[in-house]
Amino acid sequence: MQCRSVLTRVDALRTGELQPDEAGEVRDHLRTCPSCDESLGDLDQLAHAVKGLAQPPPRSCRDAICDRFDSVEAAGQRVWVAFSSRGLTMIHAGGSAEEFRARYAGHAGRELDHEHLPERLRRQVAAALSGEGVDDPQLDFVEVTDFERKVLEILTRIPRGEVRTYSWVARQAGRPAATRAVGNICARNVLPFVVPCHRVVPTTGGVGNYAFGAPVKRDLLEREGVPVEELDELARHGVRFIASTTTKIFCVPTCRDARRIRDENRVPFRDAEEALKKGFRACRRCLPAAA
Amino acid sequence: MKNSWTGGEAALAAEAPVENLAVAVHRRENGAFERLIDRFEAPLFGYAHGILQNAFDAQEVVQDAMMRAHRALTRQYDEARCASLALRPWLFKTVRNLSLNRRRSKTRALEEPLGSFDDGRLGPFTSGQPSDLERREETEMLRRAMALLPVEARELIVLRFMEEMSYAEIARTVGGSEASLRGKVFRSLKLLRDALEKRGVAHAM
Repeated sequence: MQCRSVLTRVDALRTGELQPDEAGEVRDHLRTCPSCDESLGDLDQLAHAVKGLAQPPPRSCRDAICDRFDSVEAAGQRVWVAFSSRGLTMIHAGGSAEEFRARYAGHAGRELDHEHLPERLRRQVAAALSGEGVDDPQLDFVEVTDFERKVLEILTRIPRGEVRTYSWVARQAGRPAATRAVGNICARNVLPFVVPCHRVVPTTGGVGNYAFGAPVKRDLLEREGVPVEELDELARHGVRFIASTTTKIFCVPTCRDARRIRDENRVPFRDAEEALKKGFRACRRCLPAAA
Repeated sequence: MKNSWTGGEAALAAEAPVENLAVAVHRRENGAFERLIDRFEAPLFGYAHGILQNAFDAQEVVQDAMMRAHRALTRQYDEARCASLALRPWLFKTVRNLSLNRRRSKTRALEEPLGSFDDGRLGPFTSGQPSDLERREETEMLRRAMALLPVEARELIVLRFMEEMSYAEIARTVGGSEASLRGKVFRSLKLLRDALEKRGVAHAM
């Protein structure tokens, strides 16, 4: 065997990766060739020195890939809660921990490991469940489109104790025709309770559908102080706006300004056009009509 | 014979088969993916850094590779495929492809391919017992010399001597036959030595 062939095989010989006959030939050569043996000593040192170059990564990518989960119990309900270092990422009622982890991986493409939910986040979830409302919830929207994010952010601004229609949300999001899209976004809201998709109802009356069933939605709204039966009554009569004869302002029925209008000053309207025509202006708080 | 190479019995850093991590991740076992990250993150970063020579890029590549690995193991591969998967070469190959793509997308000076260097005999390469300071300086010199190598040489040195992969695993990661890789590894090491010599440190090593 030539020196050159030997040298390219010695590294594999060192780790026992040569065939026995090949290994024998290399060993035979090395016994008789001091020049090869010397070269190897040099390379040996170099290989060892290279090993010392290994540097650890500046930070772990764990945070970007693994989130945590815990469960929260409040108002007689137990929910699974997933969270990242940035905030809440998913809430789900019912099912097992394993089902929740699988659901999460399907949604966010990340793994979940059990860890204690930080107190601040726990309070936010508990408050949302018991209908107390959450100011400034800490949320981390994962895998959402721009429009979806916009809609979810609008939802978090619907005040506790009030409701809006799907078409109202679509208009606020800048796409008035996207009523159905808004409905879909509400339906797949992965942060129910905290992102209050339950505060969005159909224009035609009733509370509409809910991921955990219409009765749960109705309960939740009542706990938040929404006069659900009164709303049903209004919807039955086709009333979508309430105006005040004293202020000449019209509102959505659950706007807190509309609810303190005295009975003798209340005027119901079917549509905003009509109210505007009669000299009423839209409330600046509940924004019942396009500006 | 004065060196450890010809002793013939140095063990490779074998993957400790305590559990089949790929299967554990596929089954969504609690903490399995974190274990995978903890086990492979640093070596993969070393490899990506070897190719890219930039910590920020290397970090991004490793993160991207981990996310892809997670998606593949949990959603795309069935359990049988996970069970038969050679996890380490598979992960390294992913990092390799992502690193080379990223490298290509950044326009850089062309480097001389490995094959064009002659693989003649090595000159003398002596050493005494260096002090700590000398050792630190040598490490720095070595780091710089590594940066001068063509990417092909650098990645082979990382895989063989830092990650201590077998030639079979290297072949799975970068492609090519074991025999040709043995030659390339040897030439890469020699190139590194030449680069050190150019900087006048050959005799300090």
